[in-house]
Amino acid sequence: MNTSVTNPLVAKWSSDFHSVDQQQGPGWMRELRESAAAQFGAAGLPSRKTEAWKYTPVRMLEKLDPSAIRPAGRDWQDAAFPEPVCEASAGLVNISNGFLPEHLPDTTTGLTLLPLAQGVEAFEEKLQSLLDSVQLDGAAKTFTALNTAFLDQGLVIHVGENVNAGSLLIRWAFSGEAPAQLSNFRMILLLEPGAELEIIEQFESAGESASALNVVTQVDLAEGAVLGHVRVQRESDGVVLLTSTSVEQAAGTRYRYNGFDLGGGLVRHELYTRLAGRGAEADFNGAFVLDRKRLVDNHVSVEHASPACSSTQFFRGVLGGSSRGVFNGRALIQPGADESSVKQSNANLLLSTLAEMDTKPELEIYADEVEASHGATVGQLDETAIFYLRSRGLSDAQARHMLTAAFCHAVTDRLDDRSLAERLSGMLDEAMPGDA
Amino acid sequence: MLEIRNLHATVGGKPILKGLNLEIADGEIHAIMGPNGAGKSTLGNVIAGRDGYEVTAGEVIYRGKNLLELEPEERACEGVFLAFQYPVEIPGVNNTYFLRAALNAQRKYRGESELDSMQFLKLVREKLQILHISDDLMHRAVNEGFSGGEKKRNEIFQMAVLQPSLAILDETDSGLDIDALRLVAEGVNRLRSEDRSIIVITHYQRLLDHIVPDVVHVLADGKIVASGDAKLALKLEEEGYTWLEQGGIQALNVEIRA
Repeated sequence: MNTSVTNPLVAKWSSDFHSVDQQQGPGWMRELRESAAAQFGAAGLPSRKTEAWKYTPVRMLEKLDPSAIRPAGRDWQDAAFPEPVCEASAGLVNISNGFLPEHLPDTTTGLTLLPLAQGVEAFEEKLQSLLDSVQLDGAAKTFTALNTAFLDQGLVIHVGENVNAGSLLIRWAFSGEAPAQLSNFRMILLLEPGAELEIIEQFESAGESASALNVVTQVDLAEGAVLGHVRVQRESDGVVLLTSTSVEQAAGTRYRYNGFDLGGGLVRHELYTRLAGRGAEADFNGAFVLDRKRLVDNHVSVEHASPACSSTQFFRGVLGGSSRGVFNGRALIQPGADESSVKQSNANLLLSTLAEMDTKPELEIYADEVEASHGATVGQLDETAIFYLRSRGLSDAQARHMLTAAFCHAVTDRLDDRSLAERLSGMLDEAMPGDA
Repeated sequence: MLEIRNLHATVGGKPILKGLNLEIADGEIHAIMGPNGAGKSTLGNVIAGRDGYEVTAGEVIYRGKNLLELEPEERACEGVFLAFQYPVEIPGVNNTYFLRAALNAQRKYRGESELDSMQFLKLVREKLQILHISDDLMHRAVNEGFSGGEKKRNEIFQMAVLQPSLAILDETDSGLDIDALRLVAEGVNRLRSEDRSIIVITHYQRLLDHIVPDVVHVLADGKIVASGDAKLALKLEEEGYTWLEQGGIQALNVEIRA
């Protein structure tokens, strides 16, 4: 414990915590912040000894040395946002430097967007139980504890019973001028029975920036609700992005995650779902294309707690330069969660001898009649295939590019939205590392 | 079209071709037969420029150019085509997309304009009809999940689209049933022309019933040991390769010269 206390960044963030007024919100929220701050201070930053962070050093964050609060004495410009990655029928929310805009878009009946404080007023009972339910202890959960300690900026999205709310685009960006800051943001999605929503998160700043974003997302899917969740991340090298998403799925719900990481310096996505009701389904698809010194870590964990649920994890990674990738896919089939189906696949291409990929499937099955498959590979491009393409007239570079792109298209092929899939395939192609 | 002089090549340090000579005129079809391990496939791969096939002596002159100095893609763009013995499955790469990219790479190399997708589709439809290949093949990933016959037909289809000057068919008959064999042979025959030469590498004579060669060569232990007309293939079929190894070829050569 001593080492964590002496970590200057932990000390800095703890002092940041005490320097701001933490009184806003109801009493339980203040208590939650206090206890989270204490847990963060005790746990400190994850190290190589923290199993869940073994291959994901946070050195870059320490070097960036961001404040956990908005540094005073400087007027921030709003970040410039690049082209939206897709059209969104339900509206667009721009989150600049981790701050909600003053005005949220008007929404159609059945879809409600509220800043966290107002959301807590509107859905207090639900939000209290959700916010209190988050695991905060230990170094593995330290950034969630930190996020909870600074609980302030946040967005609550509510979709009413049997409402198909269409698609909502959320863009995140930093302004290049801003001093390094770690923005803590909480996102809460509440889908009532039979509700449907598609959210697309675009993490992309218009210029170079050096900042950090720590987003904790909590999703509650009531019976039969369907949520599509797309993330497209194309940040610059100086950006640290930490996300932690936990989903609670009632019977007959469907959660589909599609994550595309094409940039960033240090990126980690923790994705967890609990299939709590009979017949719930969760799909986690992801592709990452990395070059230079980027690091992308996907930690997926699915808990089958009810019978007849199904889950898939399908991730593809392409690594060039001296980039690093981490995939940890866990599936836990609880006793009684019979007739579950679990599919897991993670394949990676190393295009450079300096790139590194660490992949680990974890299957724990305590139920009967479970259909399970998993596979993890790390390899190079198939030289026979390269020769085949070259023998037809394509250059070596063209052949490699074609094979590498095809490898990632296996993920975009799984998207239902064909125009978004095409757009993303194009982005993946663009992101392919050049000749190593 | 092609002149190979004293070609020596090794694979993994092991000598396979040991002084091979071969001359093919424009428009001719030459069959190369021989027992397993004689170097038939090595010859095809050396001409196409595959890595791991090291030429230690000799030269390969194709239309006045030293072929061995060119990269595999340059050879393809110059009009050399190898129909693979084992066509490679490439998941995720659409057959149409791949073939259009290949054709356009070749056209670009030759200073011709690239075909847009409409023009390409028109060309593809024509060739598909000629070869009795279903449209469905074009929408699938390159060779992925294709049957043996489909793979071989896809090779000939690529040849039909790319219109090479020199095509090497490496055991295109292997793994084919009689019907598939006939279809493949028909496709090849349609591609016969005065300015296209074809090397048919085969283990069996039966393909040559359908694709009748101008010249038949016997390749044994890295060298052409006998050459003749189509009757040579029949003789080989009758006698078997063991006969060849036991010195029967001398008698045969005498027979041919007489």
